[in-house]
This record gives sequence, C-alpha cells and structure tokens, in this order.
Amino acid sequence: MKEFKPLPDQPAPNDTVGPIHWVKDNFFSSAANTIATLLILALLATVIPPLVDWLLISANWSGTTQDACTKDGACWVFVIAWSKQFFYGSYPTEELWRINLCVLMLIGVIASSQLLNKDWRNKFSIPAFLLLPFVCILILDGSWIGLEYVSTDYWGGFALNVLLAAASIIVAFPLSFVWALGRRSEMPFIKSVSILLIEFFRGVPVLALFFMGSVMLPLFFPEGTNVDKLVRVWIVLTLFMAGYMAEVFRGGFQAVPTGQYEAADSLGLSYWQKTLLIILPQVIKVSMPNILATFVMLFKNTTFLLIIGIFEVLSTTQTALTNSNWLGGHSTEGYLFVAIVFWICCYSMSRISASIERKLDTSHKN
Amino acid sequence: MSVEQEKTNENNDDIIVIKDLNKWYGEFHVLKDINLRVKKGEKIVICGPSGSGKSTMTRCINRLEEFQRGSLTVNGVEMIEDVKNIEAIRREVGMVFQHFNLFPHLTILENLTLGPIWVQKKPKKEAEATAMKYLERVKIPDQANKFPGQLSGGQQQRVAIARSLCMNPEIMLFDEPTSALDPEMIKEVLDVMIELANEGMTMLCVTHEMGFAKKVADRVIFMDAGEIVEQNTPEEIFNNPQTDRLQLFLSQILDH
Repeated sequence: MKEFKPLPDQPAPNDTVGPIHWVKDNFFSSAANTIATLLILALLATVIPPLVDWLLISANWSGTTQDACTKDGACWVFVIAWSKQFFYGSYPTEELWRINLCVLMLIGVIASSQLLNKDWRNKFSIPAFLLLPFVCILILDGSWIGLEYVSTDYWGGFALNVLLAAASIIVAFPLSFVWALGRRSEMPFIKSVSILLIEFFRGVPVLALFFMGSVMLPLFFPEGTNVDKLVRVWIVLTLFMAGYMAEVFRGGFQAVPTGQYEAADSLGLSYWQKTLLIILPQVIKVSMPNILATFVMLFKNTTFLLIIGIFEVLSTTQTALTNSNWLGGHSTEGYLFVAIVFWICCYSMSRISASIERKLDTSHKN
Repeated sequence: MSVEQEKTNENNDDIIVIKDLNKWYGEFHVLKDINLRVKKGEKIVICGPSGSGKSTMTRCINRLEEFQRGSLTVNGVEMIEDVKNIEAIRREVGMVFQHFNLFPHLTILENLTLGPIWVQKKPKKEAEATAMKYLERVKIPDQANKFPGQLSGGQQQRVAIARSLCMNPEIMLFDEPTSALDPEMIKEVLDVMIELANEGMTMLCVTHEMGFAKKVADRVIFMDAGEIVEQNTPEEIFNNPQTDRLQLFLSQILDH
C-alpha cells in the first residue's frame, strides 16, 4: 500500500506581507486613497502644532492666581488651583484621607480581579466589589464607625460622581436582573409589573427623574422623615440604571440557547439554581459590551446632577468659573479637564471590561 | 386496596409506565394515545420519520415537555404538576441531547460535578472523585480541566453522557445522540452507549443508527404521526415489518 505524506507548509508570497506592503495596501492602494491620505496628513499638520502649543508649550503651569497666566497658552493654573475642589468637593481637608482610602480600595479590588485566579476572584474580588460602595459610604459619613461625622452637604467633586455611579450600578445590577426575569415570567402579574417598571424608568428622561427625585420622592416617604438628598438621587439613578440594564439582560437571556435550560432541568436543578448557576453567567458573558455601555452612560449622566444643585464635578467647575478671582475666561480649560478625567475613567472601564470578556471567553482553542 | 394500586403492584418491575398519553401543541395533536411499559434494564430504540413525535415522547418522560391527557409513572412516582414529583423523577432520569448542551462557561469537571454538588448535596471532593471515575469510563480523563468549546463533538457527547451518569440515574434517555456528529466520531459515542447497555442500564434511545439498534435493543419502537405504529424485537422489525408504513420507512433509510 502507498504511504500518504502531507505536503510541507510553504512561506506566504513576499509581496503580501511586511510593513511596506501594509502601508501601500492601507493608505495608497488607489488614486482616491492616495489623495485622501495626503489631504488628511495636510489637515493634521495644520491642526496639531497649534493645539500642542496651546495645550503644552505655551501653557501656564505654575502660580496660584490667574495673574500668573501670562503666556498665550492654556491657563492650567486654574485647574491646579481648583483641583482639590474638583476631585474632593468641599470635604474637610483634614479628612481627605478617607476619600483617598476609598480610591485605593477601589484600585485594589480592580487589581485583585485582574491578578487573582478564578477561584479567588469569585471568593474575594466579586464580594469585595459589591460591598465597596457601602463601605465607602460608611467611611465617608464617619458617624457609624466612630469617625467624625461629615454631612453629605460637604460631599462633592469627582469623588461624588464615582461614588454615586458605583453605588447605583451595584444595586441596579441584581434589581435589573430580577426585573428582566420578571419580564420573561409566565405569571401575568409579575410580568406586567416588571414591564411597567422597566418601561417607566427607561422611557422618562433622566433629568425629569432627577426633578421627581428631589421634589416628588419626599412626598412618598412617611411624614416627618427627612431623607438625604443624595440618597434620593441614589434611588433615582439606581432605578434609571435598572430600567436600562433589565433590557440589556433580556437581550442576554434570549441569546442563551434553550438547550441550556433543558440540560439544567434534566439534571434536576431547581429554578434558582438553574438561573444563577447556568443562565446568569452566560447572560453576563454575552451582555458584557452592553453592560459596559450602560455603565458608561450612567457614569456620564451623573454630571446632570448639577441641575438639581448637587456639587459633583461639573457644577464645581461652574462654581469655579464664576468665582470673582477667576473671571478670566477659563471655561475651555475647565471643561476640557472634566472631559479628560471622564474619558480616562470611561476608557479604563472599557479596558477592564474587555479583559473580563477575555476571561469569560471559554470558546478558545488551545 | 384499590384496583388501581393492585395493578401498580403487579407490574412493579415496570420502571416506566405510560398510559393513553396525549399531547397537543396548540391545535396540533402531536402524541396520540401512547401506551408504553418499560422494564427495568430494558433497552429500547425509538425510530421513525422526523415529526413523528419520537423526541417529544421521550422528552415527556422527564417533563421537558408537558402533556395534556393520560398518565406517566417513572420508578413509581407519578408525573403531576407538583414540583416535588417532577424533581424526584428528574433525579432518576438522565438525558443526553443531540447538541450535547454542555455548560460552556464551566470546565468539563465542573459540568460533571454541578448536579451532584447542588442537587444531591454531595461534598465537592466526593463529587470530583465520581466525576473522574466516569470520565475514565468514557475515556477522556485528560480533558477534565478544559472547557467544552475545546473538545471535539464526539468528546463533548461522551462528557454529556458522563455528566448524566454522575447523577446515578435509573434510566437514561438519548435524544438522537449521534445526529450532530461527524461520521468519524459516531463510533466513539456508540461504543460508550453499548458498554452502558451491557452493564444493564435502562435505556430509551431515539436514533437513526440501525446497527446500534440491532446490536443492543431489546425492543424497537416505530413511530409515525404521533402514534406507536409497531413495536417488536429488532429482528422482527427489520426482517418482518407488519405495516406498509414501516416497510416504506425501512426502505428509505436502508437503501441509499
């Protein structure tokens, strides 16, 4: 019998690989492409040098008042002088370590989720992440754990944006999962209540919800109770987020094949075992990009709180811009700073979510 | 003692008793007056054209499908609405699906230990030991820490069989276990099933593998249009079909 021998692999032809070929293929593949490339290069050449000059080279970096801004470029002195307010609001200076501690814990939890193996991630990182906002609230408030009490009137700045977003997301997560389950339920009462909640909180503009939260919500609390303004905002953000997330989860549920439910049923798992052990992990995996999009949206929406007089980072910036010592027109620097801070956070979130997606992806071949 | 109970006692070696079972999908009558008794240790192969109700009937046995009329008793437990009865029956009945339905987010070992740990409340160590035992039986213990997506179809189906066996079931249902497999992988799955049959497991198997039916089946059931048309030993079914419908079916699947 003849022996079968597979042919050896041969290298790819030379003119289809390598950097020069890549440039030619992507930028100069046709006359139209070449023109477009040259036009874009010309445009960049006119825009980038003055931008870099304004941002960095002619920018003013040192000083404490706006009089120090003598050069033509950006007056970063404004941002530096107000940075404490921007990040920490009016939180008492001697207690700032509490906010820093919270930030360090957040970084620690995120790092642990990236560094630990799967077992420890489930045992430590996830519970720590879920508890963190509440621990931070206790630390920032202080009165429950024997520290000096700091009223929420002094909470503010970017720290407040992060805290409100994180605390809302974490409560909204289980809530929206239950709403999504309710919407899929065959029990008519549960189903219609879920649909009503989801559609209400998704259909009403978030600004309207904030006004309702600050004006209407107190009417629902028993007479004489005075619920903190931030707590009301927290409730509104949570419900708003839950409405969106419930729909994200519903999409995720539809992506899980019925065979998964049947396999879980045939093993004799109970409804909640099946939902939490088999369905939820797969729903989270397919929904990860949309979950992140919703997180980012909510995080950015916390700046709307300036409308109802919460001193988050954007309203702090506006306060700084109208301060009588800083009336030199620094709004570009101020808003650019807010934009950059938000962008850094949102981009980091998207990197973290991409790494979670990679960790959840079990379809890879060796 | 009522007449009904006496009857049950008489036939207590029948592990599955299906009486006058009827099922509708909306207006469509999918199962018509199904009567079937399965003895402990019996191996039954169910065949028939697609849409004949063979999968649906099999899936009624562990309540993946509901039925509207008739009765079904598995291992002495009657299938009624009560969640307790349904869960009791599901604990006794293992099922293997056409598309394996392994849990993609869990490793092979976790797929196998999930049921024993959460349903039977076994300690993790014990469940893992049992799982490894069954993985060795289906000849892939080296894949224990991989994910289902990294295995071939044949390997995945063997894992699915092992996953059911870990629950120590009295009955195994197979719903076209080799239909989604490449030809080269069908044999490795059938070998595992034959071995299981030789050990005395009660098996109901929906399949088009007639060679398997001839080799292991005690009884072959031929279904069409929601009815059991014929049931007999494999020899009789293949060599001496009693109805024109079965004759036509056999000529269609055997001559090509």
